[in-house]
Amino acid sequence: MNRHRFVEHGGEVEVELEATTEAGLFEAAIEVFAELVSVDTEGPGVRHEIELSCVDRALLLADWLNELVYLAEVDQFVPERLVAFELARDRLRATVVGRREHPSHLVKAVTLNSLEYGEREGMWHGRVVLDV
Amino acid sequence: MAVSSSTSELVRLDETLWEIPAATRSDMRVPARVFADEELLMAITGDRSLEQLQNVATLPGIVEAALAMPDIHQGYGFPVGGVAAMELPDGVVSPGGVGYDINCGVRLLALPLSASELGGRREPLVHELSRAVPAGAGRGGPLGLSAADLAEVLREGPRVLVARGIGREEDVDRTESQGRLPGARPAAVSDRAHERGVGQLGTAGSGNHFIELQRVDHVFARDAAEAFGLAEGQLTVLIHSGSRGLGHQVCTDHVRVMDEVGSRYGIVLPDRQLACAPASSSEGRAYLGAMAAAANFAFANRHAIADAVRRSIERVLGAAAADGTRQIYDVAHNVAKVERYGGRDLLVHRKGATRAFPPGSPEIPAAYREVGQPVFIPGSMGTASFVLAGATGAIERSFGTTCHGAGRALSRTAARRRIGGAELRRGLEAQGIVVRCASNRALAEEAPFAYKDVERVVEVVERAGLARRVARLVPLGVVKG
Repeated sequence: MNRHRFVEHGGEVEVELEATTEAGLFEAAIEVFAELVSVDTEGPGVRHEIELSCVDRALLLADWLNELVYLAEVDQFVPERLVAFELARDRLRATVVGRREHPSHLVKAVTLNSLEYGEREGMWHGRVVLDV
Repeated sequence: MAVSSSTSELVRLDETLWEIPAATRSDMRVPARVFADEELLMAITGDRSLEQLQNVATLPGIVEAALAMPDIHQGYGFPVGGVAAMELPDGVVSPGGVGYDINCGVRLLALPLSASELGGRREPLVHELSRAVPAGAGRGGPLGLSAADLAEVLREGPRVLVARGIGREEDVDRTESQGRLPGARPAAVSDRAHERGVGQLGTAGSGNHFIELQRVDHVFARDAAEAFGLAEGQLTVLIHSGSRGLGHQVCTDHVRVMDEVGSRYGIVLPDRQLACAPASSSEGRAYLGAMAAAANFAFANRHAIADAVRRSIERVLGAAAADGTRQIYDVAHNVAKVERYGGRDLLVHRKGATRAFPPGSPEIPAAYREVGQPVFIPGSMGTASFVLAGATGAIERSFGTTCHGAGRALSRTAARRRIGGAELRRGLEAQGIVVRCASNRALAEEAPFAYKDVERVVEVVERAGLARRVARLVPLGVVKG
């Protein structure tokens, strides 16, 4: 089960993510991003392979979202779901499917402000502040 | 007089200046000061911006005080509306202190027509502006820029475009730093940033970026208005945009570098987004070179948008109207620049703040030198914007800086809870404002009540002696990404 919740922030967009698995946390990030940038409901299907490396999981989550920002800008890609996900100690490999549409350019970047990633009480939690 | 805040103890220094003393926190190197009146202070203490300002006061090399303008609101790392001057050579540079949208800024054009002369052509003109200036664009973008062209723009700014028949030389002369920050290093801009930027020159972006058709509603200072070429009733167009994906990627890349190397320089930070390195370090110099390149891209972006605006004016109002459309000035909101104060070179970070040099400054165009640098303060959608002129108090009190807008008072989610985009659109149109915005969500987030009262903000900067009011502009139409 993946969930996300928008938190009150004086200027930007702050989001809490929650999932039962680590993969779910990254999938929750996809859902948030799509909610923020998707404008159309139609477009050709597209698949992207994403590979990232970082030992710091919080930074990896930020990098994951930054990858989505980049793909939205250069390929007009709006992600829909994960179809493959592999997480090792210092590396992430994933396949994301979605649509090529005309996404909003709302999200500029993922900040390190209040960035969180971790497990508590059997659930995985993340927190990001997006510059919009 | 002391006022309780949720985050600190504020001491009133004078009518418009409040201070959190350096002794408030053991890690603060200098005080944190905010320009405000009582009512604005109430709004400011409603978010975490003063805590963020105190965090800025901990940065190595900061001098005098971490400053905030009256439009301060919560950001990430630095508050929006924050100013920090670092002693060179070894004070730090913080990419987060400039922000992701490097050289986000505003440019004001004045048309040779009054609102009454525009008549029924208002809606066609706003519609044409929305067609001519895309929010975003694909590969090549509206200018069909090649990778080699882009590298030249990063080095030289909008003059490169003038040579290609886009815009005018006089536009460049009436741009802060003449549209070119020195020391730009395109090689310090990553391939990914180049890739994001190559299709985006001449695009406005989303969020709070806009193009607004306006009417000069009131002139406060006739001398400065005459110098700027503004008169009551005249039409103006205000352009708000920045360095787009290129600048966002430059900041992302260099924040990551500084996040990794900060500990090597013994830097301890209260917030990871304040990641920084000495300006003299290899990492600091690389960022400053990349930031200057992104700033030059942003100047060129607004230059290209202004050219598209002129072409729209030509299509709707004719060639004479387009020919007579002059650029008043272009100012940056998010940059770090080396400036000299009190006999020393300082690296002044402005994050959501505007340079506001006073009369006599050699840095401003000769035509404006007797009245001070033009500054443009956008209000929120549906409210007035202001033209100001820099004043001597800015040099004495704020490292030559004034505010940059109204400043948010409500979060985006709170704004959306209060009003829907469709309802807001109807309300603005009922006021006679033509609205072109593809997203109701984006519209609702920028609702007028989500911002502080811009009239009060500019009154405070005038009373503080940072800038004086020259003219008030009211919206006739707005195009948002």
